[in-house]
Amino acid sequence: MSGMSRIVKTMASVTFPLALIYGLYIIAHGHLTPGGGFQGGAVVASACIMILVAYGSVWTMGKIKEKRLSAFESLGALGFICLAFFGLIFGANYFFNNFLVHPEGLDIIFNGTAKGLSNINTAGVIPLMNFAVGLKVIVGLFAIVLVMAYATTKLKGEK
Amino acid sequence: MSIRNIVAVTFFAVVALFLIFGALMTHPFGEFDEDNTPEMDQYIIDNTQSETGADNVVTAVVFDYRGFDTLGEATVLFTAVAGVILIFRRVKK
Amino acid sequence: MEVEWLTYLIHIIVPIIIVIAAALAVVFKDLIAAAIAVAAMSLLLSLEFYILQAPDVAIAEAGVGACLTTAILIIAIRATKREEEA
Repeated sequence: MSGMSRIVKTMASVTFPLALIYGLYIIAHGHLTPGGGFQGGAVVASACIMILVAYGSVWTMGKIKEKRLSAFESLGALGFICLAFFGLIFGANYFFNNFLVHPEGLDIIFNGTAKGLSNINTAGVIPLMNFAVGLKVIVGLFAIVLVMAYATTKLKGEK
Repeated sequence: MSIRNIVAVTFFAVVALFLIFGALMTHPFGEFDEDNTPEMDQYIIDNTQSETGADNVVTAVVFDYRGFDTLGEATVLFTAVAGVILIFRRVKK
Repeated sequence: MEVEWLTYLIHIIVPIIIVIAAALAVVFKDLIAAAIAVAAMSLLLSLEFYILQAPDVAIAEAGVGACLTTAILIIAIRATKREEEA
């Protein structure tokens, strides 16, 4: 896509931060309110795709390369699986152990136990896994659409 | 009436029968039946807040009780992204 | 009492519009119009999920179904032909 008119670009630039804040709120409050890593990641990826449609895939590909997106996605996957493996080391020693709120485990951050009071400092390893899965879903879905849009665009040199 | 039409009508009748009986056997909407609730559901509803510390039961199930499912879903997404980037990559000449 | 009546009415109307949108997606010969019909169906489906008290699924459906699927379909249509062959 070769970019749309100036009105569409301006409106996309204005609405992009709002959608971004909404998606990041869903990710960060995944253990308190409805939503989570996948849902918030889908919302943020939708906002990024709005920018991609408004400004064109050539401009977007000039801003960020797909190799960097692949690196970020691998980072998210590694964070998720490393948090799962840390459960084997600390606490009660089983896979996917929630070691941050376990009585024998660590007691550093996110260590509270919720009683319906919506305290954000609760739920142990679940917010960290939400961040990892959210990063993975944002970058993964955006990379799919970006690569497909760039591959079907006719560049200047081609016929 | 050809053979193909007879086969189609029979298949349609069987599928419609399955769907009608399935719709008659579903749980009534919006009513809580304490006798027919599975034991696992009641355990999760009762113990999620004290065991995992999360208010949102759905996220607690997805990331804690059923963590392996989320691992498989993440693997599926990773494979899809890797395949799409491999196929649609622009090769420099 | 009036709120219950309104809820039942919405429970009847929204699935009917979903089925109409799904049928329109099959009927249209213009493939971009069909893709927009699929997007409308997906958005109404997310509304139906929200009415049925599943906000998690509603957010995921609104993000993936109404935005990402439409973008991918329109990219695929742009790479091929716009009109459906009879």
